[in-house]
Amino acid sequence: MANRITRRKFLINSGLAGIALKSPMLFANTSGNAASSPIMRRIPGTNESLPAIGMGTWITFNVGGDTQLVQQRTRVLKTFFDLGGIVVDGSPMYGSAADVMGEALNSLDAHDRVFAATKIWTGDESETRAEAARSSRRWGVERFDLLQVHNLLGWQGHLETLKQMKANGEVRYIGITTSHGRRHREFAQIMEREPLDFVQLTYNVLDREVEDRLLPLARERGIGVIVNRPFQGGSLFRRFQSEPLPDWAGEAGVSNWAEFFLKYIISHPAVTCAIPATSKVEHMKENMGALYGPLPDADQRERMADFVRSL
Amino acid sequence: MSGADWLSYSLQDFVMFGPQVFLRLFVRINQDLWPWQVLAVIAAIGIPVLLLRQGRNARRLAVGLIAVAWAVSGYGFLVGYFGPINWPAVWFGWAFVAQGVLLAAAMFSGGVREAALPSGRFVALWLIVVCGLPLLAVAESGQWQAVALFGIAPGTTAAAGALIVALITGPWRWLYLPVLVLWSLFSAAILWVLQAWWLLVTPVATLLLVGAGFWLSPRPARSLD
Repeated sequence: MANRITRRKFLINSGLAGIALKSPMLFANTSGNAASSPIMRRIPGTNESLPAIGMGTWITFNVGGDTQLVQQRTRVLKTFFDLGGIVVDGSPMYGSAADVMGEALNSLDAHDRVFAATKIWTGDESETRAEAARSSRRWGVERFDLLQVHNLLGWQGHLETLKQMKANGEVRYIGITTSHGRRHREFAQIMEREPLDFVQLTYNVLDREVEDRLLPLARERGIGVIVNRPFQGGSLFRRFQSEPLPDWAGEAGVSNWAEFFLKYIISHPAVTCAIPATSKVEHMKENMGALYGPLPDADQRERMADFVRSL
Repeated sequence: MSGADWLSYSLQDFVMFGPQVFLRLFVRINQDLWPWQVLAVIAAIGIPVLLLRQGRNARRLAVGLIAVAWAVSGYGFLVGYFGPINWPAVWFGWAFVAQGVLLAAAMFSGGVREAALPSGRFVALWLIVVCGLPLLAVAESGQWQAVALFGIAPGTTAAAGALIVALITGPWRWLYLPVLVLWSLFSAAILWVLQAWWLLVTPVATLLLVGAGFWLSPRPARSLD
């Protein structure tokens, strides 16, 4: 039967497509099964869900006062929002990245679209509130959705203040971070006894140590997990992108290496979202491809890890 | 943090910007300063001419220009452009300003030699530095606008400034060395992480030119006894 497109059908479909692009959350489901809706993950202990792909700003948004690069990074952020992303993570450690993010959010008038996450990065444990306030001014947000103690630096004092700030409504969620596999034993001890909403840690198809202890512990304790260095700082691409994807990649919902690496991560049941960083619009589109379509199952995840190890 | 934690960090962990952003610093400062670069080029060419002329005033003018070059490249490039993406660069920027002040103080306090330099070797090295090193940023970025001129770009300024070790005497010389050495190591580490291989020549050349400065230093006249 011929499938003729009438003017009426065209207008309706165009309207729906426009709404979908503008407000992808309307079409979201939390199961991750439908190819057309973003994969969402519930924040444990809440009714709030987040898209499983977020965005980091390490290196990529530290462009100083370079107007040309600020505009370019704004386009990267716009692409991220347009494709359904909302979680953006930064740190005062990242040079001018917070100011650039503030400028980009202003340009896009997107302060209400972002789930703003940053870190407390100071050894002075009495500076928690002051640093959070400085970061708020730089981002141009009234308050952060998530404040995390960066790499456990001065964590005891900062976490106490963060708990008070959360109780006062000055921040919605609190957490701690680590990267590169550092201090996992101490990290686990804090997860066991502190009321954390999120932890941020390094996890990717090659760095899998967290599968043994931290990810199961996060599930057990009802803590959301944000994954940094999903591409191992870009080295996964340098090592593997010249290789062809395995024949069975399509069955795992994967069509390029970015999706391969990201879907491996977000298909772990403990992971809330991964936060790849990029300075290129094209790469952002590839990253956000991982937010849609089917996810690999447990067997396929093992095959993915085995395949990468075999290369 | 424990010692083992610190050992788990690599140089990459401390460089929070990419090569594109770094190379754009040269382009941006040149665009913002245009056409004042002409003065920097005139100074770069004029300094050896002044140094080789007899007379205290010519030498003072030459050394004064080098002092200004330290201060301008430190405050302009390092504090103004590099500092926002890399906070240790601000410290180095002020260290460059202090280096300029130190050189000026040495000049007015008798810390700069009056004796003639081995002119041919000095001029040749100076011209290689101020004409050759600026092109490394061009080679690295593929853009002429990235040219790293003496008096504007800190690397070229430090490399040329290293040759002036030949002129400085006594304790002033030793006070002049730390910034040269620390800057060379700092910038070499950053350029290594950024894999900016062409630009890596500049800090290496700076350290070699410190040695050349000692080598070119006029020897005290031998006693006939």
